Amino acid sequence: MTVSLTYPHLGIGLGLRKEHYQSILDEPPQIDWFEAITENYLVPGGKPLHFLEQVRARYSVVLHGVSLSVGGTDPLDWDYLRQVKALVERIEPAWISDHLCFTGAGGINAHDLLPLPYTGEAVRHVARRIRQVQDFLGRRILIENVSSYLSYRSSEMSEWAFLGAVAEEADCLILLDINNIYVSARNHGFDPLEYLAGVPAERVQQHHLAGHQDYGDHVIDTHDHPVPDPVWRLYEAAVQRFGPVSCMIERDADIPPLEVLMEEVERMREIAEGAQAAAHV
Amino acid sequence: MSELAALQGRFMRWLLQGDPELAADVADDGRLPLQTRLEVYRNAYGLRLAEALADSYPAVHTLLGDARFDALARSYIEAHPSTYRSIRWFGDRLAAYLAERAPWCEQPILAEMAAFEWALRDAFDAADAAPLARADLAALPPQAWAGLRLDFHPSVQRLDLQWNTVQLWQAIDDGREPVAPERGPYPVGWVIWRRELRTWFRSLEVDEAWALDRMRAGAPFAEVCAGLVEWIDEAYVPERAAALMARWLIDGKVIGAHA
Ligand SMILES: [Fe+2]
Repeated sequence: MTVSLTYPHLGIGLGLRKEHYQSILDEPPQIDWFEAITENYLVPGGKPLHFLEQVRARYSVVLHGVSLSVGGTDPLDWDYLRQVKALVERIEPAWISDHLCFTGAGGINAHDLLPLPYTGEAVRHVARRIRQVQDFLGRRILIENVSSYLSYRSSEMSEWAFLGAVAEEADCLILLDINNIYVSARNHGFDPLEYLAGVPAERVQQHHLAGHQDYGDHVIDTHDHPVPDPVWRLYEAAVQRFGPVSCMIERDADIPPLEVLMEEVERMREIAEGAQAAAHV
Repeated sequence: MSELAALQGRFMRWLLQGDPELAADVADDGRLPLQTRLEVYRNAYGLRLAEALADSYPAVHTLLGDARFDALARSYIEAHPSTYRSIRWFGDRLAAYLAERAPWCEQPILAEMAAFEWALRDAFDAADAAPLARADLAALPPQAWAGLRLDFHPSVQRLDLQWNTVQLWQAIDDGREPVAPERGPYPVGWVIWRRELRTWFRSLEVDEAWALDRMRAGAPFAEVCAGLVEWIDEAYVPERAAALMARWLIDGKVIGAHA
């Protein structure tokens, strides 16, 4: 008997942004779920929590954190984790996620997703901390691969081997960001298909799709453009590799009206459903 | 210290101080200049925090213009890097920074504007609480009034502003040409608060500002009434005190009363 590690499949989702709160409530779109940025709702009250609860009353919601710093070397921030836990109890998300990175050191938060060296030491360090977080929150969390612009001389393995090793040793799940794979592949010159092939499929719970800025000799993960063709193609390959995985679009700047993003959501749904149909032949 | 901690320390010193020691850790694959790789992170760090400041302080940004605001942001980021998990709280010391540091302290309206914008922001996502209805207070027996103390909504903020800061803020917020900064003859009290999801502010007469501050500090009603004789004839004090209380209730600023 095989026991699934993952949470139930949610379908096609979208990142929840304040610019869309009112449109979502006025005319609830054909979306299966929303992903909310955890930190935006770690506030005492007012509009953010009001709208999140309104959205949650109509949709499944997952929480996506940006400052756990699970790869960091400062002690885990238990005050932050207590706040996350309280939000989890209030919103009852389908799952929660954060990033495989560090976000600061020495008590300073850089508010950025900074890359880790891919070493055995880092695998053990990060996995131990993920386990502590999971014990505290009482559930498996998802960790996301980040876009990176540099790699370290000290790295001993590929990024995908590192991601897989951390997920196995921590017994956590993976949020595989397709755009981040594309961006990092361009910046470091690896084959994104090799990345997909190297990720433990049974732990992949969610995908992100997003746009970026292409500077020719490097690519920056800006989330300010529609999802570009190479990322759609890589998503098709991911669907081939992983089957139906809950997937959503992240848009963080130059945010268009909801109906414009819905065109991308529909394209994502077609690709996901095409693969599902193919899987059933 | 572990290898990992040492590396992360070098990374942070690169971001915060431009310390180039990190370069020795970075693999040079010949695809992209190593310096470009490093700069991507340092630029993103400065830009993200500057954007957060601009987001919290749109009127300070307008008053300074892009170039001077950018200089302020760079200077502030260096002086007070973020210690918060959520970027929402980054910039909490900007008003004090503007009040103390040249050249910004030479334009005192900047510090006042920052204090006003931060108060708006605090009111925006302060804790929710149901306002007390006037009927709840009317039901109190007369002998309870002297010892009455009030609990105020968590969003309530008080500022004393020497300049026409709020007038200027409104012009900027409406997208009108900013009015000229003007220093008033004396500071004017302002109160900022949120009722349900909407943020409000209004100016206070000098006796109301004093009474509100005392009541917020936990003083009983009788003490506040006694203090009001500083501004008004004793005969009119009960009427004035009752009017202030009614106003605070109508505003939705009061959430509890106890003797
Ligand atoms: Fe992502």
